[in-house]
Amino acid sequence: MENNVNKTFIIRNEVEELNRVVAFLEQLAEEWQLPANTIHSIHLVLEEALSNVILYAYEKGSTHEIRIDVNYTDHQLGITITDTGRPFDPTQQKEPDIHLPAEERPIGGLGIFLIRKIMDEVSYLRSGQENILRMTKKI
Amino acid sequence: MNVTNQSIEQGTLVTIDGRIDTTNYTEFEQAMNQLFNDNVKAIYLDCSGLTYISSSGLRVFLTVQKKMMSIGGKFLLFAMQPTIKEIFDISGFSSIFSIFETKEEAL
Repeated sequence: MENNVNKTFIIRNEVEELNRVVAFLEQLAEEWQLPANTIHSIHLVLEEALSNVILYAYEKGSTHEIRIDVNYTDHQLGITITDTGRPFDPTQQKEPDIHLPAEERPIGGLGIFLIRKIMDEVSYLRSGQENILRMTKKI
Repeated sequence: MNVTNQSIEQGTLVTIDGRIDTTNYTEFEQAMNQLFNDNVKAIYLDCSGLTYISSSGLRVFLTVQKKMMSIGGKFLLFAMQPTIKEIFDISGFSSIFSIFETKEEAL
């Protein structure tokens, strides 16, 4: 495999599009020869980030494109998700208290937490009309 | 994803195969709700075929656990694959669920 490879994938803001993301990742795993556990982690991170955009970023019923850029260089995998939805900075979300007993654990709030735990770095930028979420992980 | 139920002496044995994600977690939720409607007091969940779970699926697990605790019931998980166990560990779910290595230990 080359030392620096990039791939771009575009989906619409529909939940069913997440199935296409799975197919995209399977293709990526084969082309870039990525280990199964890396693909599993990337799948989860992408689903969590993209489902937030799909479910909350836009007015219901309106169609928009979400861009996913993946690059691999020097044992580092980078993922950038760009959307034109309402501004939302996941890095500013309060982390859930994972030590609470079941009775007191709120339902939800885990998606962004999982992203931050799995990836090494997560950064957010609002640029013009775009939300740009950049995530990296050493593999 | 495929969910199947089997009545056993101790309660209901549920087997889940495939992925639980944002696109299909409601199917899992409905299958579990049906068990509550049937007044099942002990659920033994075979996780050996569960290959992927995201926060949508974790939410259903937590909801089931809360419901079972509120009725004094049991919700036991077993034979979880390492990648799934890791997600449970990260989420703090490993300490709020009863997770067993094998079916025999769970029963």
